Amino acid sequence: MLSEIRRNPLLILFFILGMVIVGYIIAALSHMLYSQLVLHPGEFIAVIKDPVVLQSIWLTLYTSFIGTVIAVILGIPLAYILARYDFHGKDIIEAIVDIPIIIPHTVAGIALFSLLMKRGAVGTAFSKLGIVFQDNMWGIVMAMFFVSCPFFVGTAREGFKSVNPNLERVARTLGASQWESFYQIALPLTFRHIFSGAIMSWARGISEFGAIIILAYYPMIASTLILARFNTNGLQGSQPIAVLLIMVCFVTFVVLRLISKRGAKR
Amino acid sequence: MVALTAGCASEPKTVSVYHAGSLAQPFQAVEKNFEAANRNTDVQLEAAGSVDTIRKVTELGKQADVIGSADYRLIPQMMYPNYADWYIVFATNEIVLCYTDQSKYASEINADNWYEILQRPDVLWAFGSPNIDPCGYRTVMTIKLADLAYNKPVFNNLLAAHTAITIKEENGVYTITTPEALNPDTKYVTIRDKSEDLVSMTLAGGIDYAFEYRSVAEQNKLKYVELPPSINLKDVRYESTYGKVKVKISNGTTQTAAPIAYGITVPKNAVNKDLGIKYVEQVINENGQKIFNDMGQPPTVPALGSGTIPEQLKKYVEMID
Repeated sequence: MLSEIRRNPLLILFFILGMVIVGYIIAALSHMLYSQLVLHPGEFIAVIKDPVVLQSIWLTLYTSFIGTVIAVILGIPLAYILARYDFHGKDIIEAIVDIPIIIPHTVAGIALFSLLMKRGAVGTAFSKLGIVFQDNMWGIVMAMFFVSCPFFVGTAREGFKSVNPNLERVARTLGASQWESFYQIALPLTFRHIFSGAIMSWARGISEFGAIIILAYYPMIASTLILARFNTNGLQGSQPIAVLLIMVCFVTFVVLRLISKRGAKR
Repeated sequence: MVALTAGCASEPKTVSVYHAGSLAQPFQAVEKNFEAANRNTDVQLEAAGSVDTIRKVTELGKQADVIGSADYRLIPQMMYPNYADWYIVFATNEIVLCYTDQSKYASEINADNWYEILQRPDVLWAFGSPNIDPCGYRTVMTIKLADLAYNKPVFNNLLAAHTAITIKEENGVYTITTPEALNPDTKYVTIRDKSEDLVSMTLAGGIDYAFEYRSVAEQNKLKYVELPPSINLKDVRYESTYGKVKVKISNGTTQTAAPIAYGITVPKNAVNKDLGIKYVEQVINENGQKIFNDMGQPPTVPALGSGTIPEQLKKYVEMID
């Protein structure tokens, strides 16, 4: 990479411009990290030991993970269809899938609340199965799933588009069933996209807040707790939790990216 | 300087108004009057819980030109002396119990049986977080005052039984403690940061009853049970009755039940101080009073002032200190 930069001046320009983005993100976070970890480490250590905080961070990671699993199970078939077939109303379906990206989170929260509340159309049916969404973990999962599924479907769709459909056709002519050609050809070749789509979806779920506090303020996920602590104890009370969340997520995402890289090499 | 400002008049001057959620609708109406009276200005309203609103200035270092709080006492408590040195009390409100036609037992509920209906196992009721929203801790106060007014264990049955909120009595004064983790048993009762968030949940039918300010109920066309003056925190004649109940919220401060009164100030670090003061003027002058009357938040006439009130506003206020 370095020797190439020396030979290619355009790359130097791209490198500098690209570093502006990275620098911007680091600049935004470094003040917070510095003031917390260097100037006020005591509060940070107290937060690491606070079971309420740890539980909220665990709950955030875990509910977003379940939301992503749902997005993967339901999203792969949808992404495959959207990538492989043209049909009437496809544009409309693609636009519908993108709606959760566009609508304000509070509006999404109110819409989900009306649908999933204990006395809502869907909420009533699920409560008979013992699943409650309102002020419940499953409500958090559904809100995260709602806002993050477009990211998964979009990435997986691009993945399936990048696989030459002829490969599947050849497999079919060689006697593979439709399922076998999907499972053994299209799916493995799309692994990298599916994996990175799932990471995107998981990350988006972790960051969701506006919709969740309407449907399921309780049990508290990390961002709900951060707001509650900000409102009661100010920045001093909320910032250590935010720093811990950032650190946990950063490490997790680095590990996932490495796994994704290794998976793609194989 | 005047010529200079007039010279670049094409760029509108921004007035940032941070205010309690329950002031949203009247302040929108005030905005129209203000912009009509002060050409080339742009009012930017930003709603949040009152404590949050003040913290944006005192903790985040944001610069607001006006702060409107649902509890005037928060201004001296949280902003004096570094961020403000005066406030004006300009309107009142009261706690009511909101519902819709779809709410369970809507046809039966009234000022005599509301606390029994809220205890029914199939009813879900809600209130704002006492730690964040003045309407929330006032609801807690109203519920304790209901004990005394009806001579029934309303507080125990509604709050102590279903949340982590506790109470202690000493010489006839009740101190309620609301811990950070309120742990509501969400089968019966739920809590949100702002009581205004409960409006859409009630309208959607997900909650049967929500404690709100009367103004919020009227502005959102919700039905409501009007509670007796000895518990609704509206009537100054009951000030000594109210004073028996205190709520210690999770930031450690103690709020004493008192008639509900809104406070407004211009922070010391405001960017457009003069326009901030002019906005306050539009809130407390006759036009402002009319708006607040129409919105179910009766204005305090004359407005009550405390601290170093700016010269232009002195003619509107009666000093209380």
